[in-house]
Amino acid sequence: MEGGETVVIGCGNLLRGDDAVGPTLIRHLWERGVPEGVRLVDGGTAGMDVAFQMRGAARVILIDACATEAEPGVLYRVPGEALENLPPLDGLHLHAFRWDHALAFGRWLLKDDYPEDITVYLIEAARTDFGAPLSPPVEAAMHDLLDRLIEELSGAHASNR
Amino acid sequence: MATDLHISPLGRVEGDLDVRVMVDDGVVTDAWTTAGMFRGFEMILKGKDPQAGLIVTPRICGICGGSHLTKTVYALDTAWRTEVPPNATLIRNIAQACETLQSIPRWFYALFAIDLTNKNYAKAKEYDEAVRRFAPFVGTGYEKGVTLSGKPVEIYAIFGGQWPHSSFMVPGGVMCGPTLSDVTRSIAILEYWKDEWLEKEWLGCSVDRWLENKTWDDVLAWVEENESHYNSDCGFFIRYAMETGLDKFGAGFGNYFATGTFWNPDEYTHPTIEGRNRALITRSGVYQDGQYYEFDQANVREDHTHSFYEGAGALHPFDGRTVPVDPAEGQKQGKYSWAKSPRYEIPGVGMKPLEAGPLARQVVAGKPDPLPWQDYDPLFHNAVTTIGPSVMVRVMARMHEAAKYYKLVRSWLDQVDLHEKFYVKPVEHEEGQGFGATEAARGALADWIKIKDGKIENYQVVTPTAWNIGPRDGNNVNGPMEQAFVGSPIADTTDPVELGHVARSFDSCLVCTVHVYDAKTRKEMSRFVVNGNC
Repeated sequence: MEGGETVVIGCGNLLRGDDAVGPTLIRHLWERGVPEGVRLVDGGTAGMDVAFQMRGAARVILIDACATEAEPGVLYRVPGEALENLPPLDGLHLHAFRWDHALAFGRWLLKDDYPEDITVYLIEAARTDFGAPLSPPVEAAMHDLLDRLIEELSGAHASNR
Repeated sequence: MATDLHISPLGRVEGDLDVRVMVDDGVVTDAWTTAGMFRGFEMILKGKDPQAGLIVTPRICGICGGSHLTKTVYALDTAWRTEVPPNATLIRNIAQACETLQSIPRWFYALFAIDLTNKNYAKAKEYDEAVRRFAPFVGTGYEKGVTLSGKPVEIYAIFGGQWPHSSFMVPGGVMCGPTLSDVTRSIAILEYWKDEWLEKEWLGCSVDRWLENKTWDDVLAWVEENESHYNSDCGFFIRYAMETGLDKFGAGFGNYFATGTFWNPDEYTHPTIEGRNRALITRSGVYQDGQYYEFDQANVREDHTHSFYEGAGALHPFDGRTVPVDPAEGQKQGKYSWAKSPRYEIPGVGMKPLEAGPLARQVVAGKPDPLPWQDYDPLFHNAVTTIGPSVMVRVMARMHEAAKYYKLVRSWLDQVDLHEKFYVKPVEHEEGQGFGATEAARGALADWIKIKDGKIENYQVVTPTAWNIGPRDGNNVNGPMEQAFVGSPIADTTDPVELGHVARSFDSCLVCTVHVYDAKTRKEMSRFVVNGNC
């Protein structure tokens, strides 16, 4: 709850192939050590709770798989505002509530406690079969992102962007 | 004239729940529910380490993952014949109940009540008031209810490390060592939620005053007792539901069952399938044609005659098979859903579809002869035998549990003994079979596991949503939700909000499917690429 915190949230379904990349990355980060002032969140598939987890954070980094029809393993770094998307209200149900809805929802829910700085990393998925492991290009992109994040979070080097 | 109407009453997301109804003279005369997604977790689990279910099943759902964990751990406790210390049972009870306490306001405001502001009701006397309270994002009740719904699972996270998707319950206990400050923080969070939402916003009175209501007449008298009750969200909902006719449709078969949940910590230190009913605090039971029966897992069947799986007929989950067929092929055999049709074989009566969920639990709570530690509550047995089941009654049963579960969690938090153990290391037997069940917010949830040579030989998960939305069975008898649609009025076939009320009153939990981000295309996203292999 203290100010100045950075929250890293990995989203996705651990049971569905490359959709697991967000929660899997959170585990790797945990094993490599969490820098001071950083909180790790396994967001899983509970969309609305992503908004609650952002409360009071100065900075949020969100990681998920995506399907934009690019080559598998392509990594995007996107400002949160570019992706905010209010959930469809007629016919909303909690299973269709995703973090991009949570970003718009969180702006409403948290008001002054909404983080100023939100960055979203997306990795293009190759496959999302039940029980499949991460595909090689997504696994490679995840390790690339892990290195970037550790550099970003350690504060030892300024972000190269 | 009869009309054939196809809708997705829970949203426009492909692959969820699709409903086909026949409408004659503005009233539904028949219905077919189709779950459009294949669930593959039973197949993932086969051949894996017996404890894999502790990781996999909480990921089935981002909303009731804690309930999945609860029944999975009891399936293993019974299979491995573990010892579970009283503290661990208390913590498991607290966690399970907090997940449901979270769900109650979130479901009511974010999912159900939005439809009360539908233009279908614009002529209702209280329509403007319904909009003022329940309109998404701006409604007075909506804002408080949704914002405070996050509180109870903060308690889950104190003990479980995280919510959703925790795996902190393990055979033999729980993986946590709570401190006094964890317990006092939990009490403070629970009291805050109770004060700010449950009493101030929802009830307009104390929890204890609400729980004095023992009949539906008591509830109606409670509404009129004073302005605070009358103008609370609960008082308003009851008045508005009766004005708009939500007490007149959505009944279903009126037959129910519960597996029950929450265990007396001293009565379930050595969990067994046979000892389960006795140890329960909120009881299991079956209610069919006005008669109560004991629940026995041995009488559960899953019929797949109309489901996209090989063959036809009904099997007990220990022998269950999940062999999918191509839906196009299945349709030629009259199959129409990915959900199976769970049924209950009542000895001497036959195989019956039974409704699961809060209304089922609360009807079962009226079963006579509770043991001293068991919940007895006649309110909803009274409601279904006087005014009859309906959308309104189903909603009220769910909301009623907020007060009951608050009281239970509070008492369990007081009973945790911080000097005693929370885990007893079990023997990991190479062979065995187990049954674990709980009550998720939306109803009875159970796992059956067979372990052979130290690996999972068979695993079956039967969800409350399958009980409720499953298709017809081999006898061509409707599933509970199919039956609940029958008799619904449809004022406007282009916007059949009434079907949404019925579907949502069951709070169906569909598979949390792929959550990959797909709202933007590669072209729109190309300027954000950072690793250069586009």
